[in-house]
Amino acid sequence: MTTVLLDGLGAVGIRAARQLVDSPGLDALLITGRSSARAEELADALGDRAHAVDLGPDDVLPDRLDAVAAALPAEPGVALARRALEASVPFTSTIDDENAVNALLDLDEQARHEGVLFAPSCGLAPGLADVLARHAADALDSVDEIHVARSGVSGPACLAAARKARREPALEWHDGAWHEERRGTAELVWFPDPIGARECEPVASGIALLVQAFPGIARATTRIGELPSRRLTWPGRRALDEEWGSARVEVWGWRGRVRESMVYGVIDRTAVAAGTVLAVAAARLAGAAQGLGARDGPAGGVHGLAALVEPVPFLAELARRGVKAAAFEGVRVA
Amino acid sequence: MKALRRGLIVAAIAVVVGGFVKLRGKGGVPPTSGGWRELDGPEFR
Repeated sequence: MTTVLLDGLGAVGIRAARQLVDSPGLDALLITGRSSARAEELADALGDRAHAVDLGPDDVLPDRLDAVAAALPAEPGVALARRALEASVPFTSTIDDENAVNALLDLDEQARHEGVLFAPSCGLAPGLADVLARHAADALDSVDEIHVARSGVSGPACLAAARKARREPALEWHDGAWHEERRGTAELVWFPDPIGARECEPVASGIALLVQAFPGIARATTRIGELPSRRLTWPGRRALDEEWGSARVEVWGWRGRVRESMVYGVIDRTAVAAGTVLAVAAARLAGAAQGLGARDGPAGGVHGLAALVEPVPFLAELARRGVKAAAFEGVRVA
Repeated sequence: MKALRRGLIVAAIAVVVGGFVKLRGKGGVPPTSGGWRELDGPEFR
């Protein structure tokens, strides 16, 4: 019997819950959140396989869990990860805050020792973007540069994390060393329509796991696009979690003696894409999605999604659920 | 004197307009042709 615990009932959490219940290999989904009533309401709406559970911050996790999925802000997400490690249960989340990811990377040695997999950043970007980077890298003989950009947020917590990331110093991996930029250079990035060109600022989010997954890489950057205004939303304007989001991944490398670039992208409602990636990642960690695991993947430790899944079956599974990636085919002029 | 005053006014207007028009960052390389194509086939390429 395969059981996943999902904590978080925000924009991403409810989408992840729907996707998890629709996963054929999953027998039970336990749902918890700050509001027990909301958890019960969601479980009732999702059918017989979903069950609401009351779980306080200090409570022991339920028995016989196969994976824990967290659609939570950074601080409670890290706390839940520690409890998952104590119980030797695989953990996944949409956390992309640099400090939180570093806190989870501190658990790497213990997770490896326990043989438990942790995938902390499984949203649109980081998350799906890492898988697209791996997919592009698989088509090249060697890779030396990866540039990831994201536009869009999935809810208030995601917006707060993105604001923090843009406010804090950016990190860039360059020639085997980290370079910190107090105020990085913004760059126009062309996302798939209808988003199009957005000015994106360099950030530190997601870059540590990306560099870990591609150890020989010479340069890596991550960027986040302009964020919604703090001003009041006009009546009738779409809610934050209904906004379009997109990720764009540009990979440079060599095929034979020719230097090439590959550009992949994805566009969807940000919360839908992030929730679907989180659900499929949780199903993979729980063993409920056969064939998604990376052939030479690690048996334990804290990793980005690029190290944990085979890109083609993972992208096929996302496409089956309606989240479809695209390739850019065009001519660039210098 | 009149020319100096006019020059200062022009400079002040340029500063104000420059403040509204954001001229920072570098432009990416715009795609000049082609477009996005959904990944398909057994290899998802």
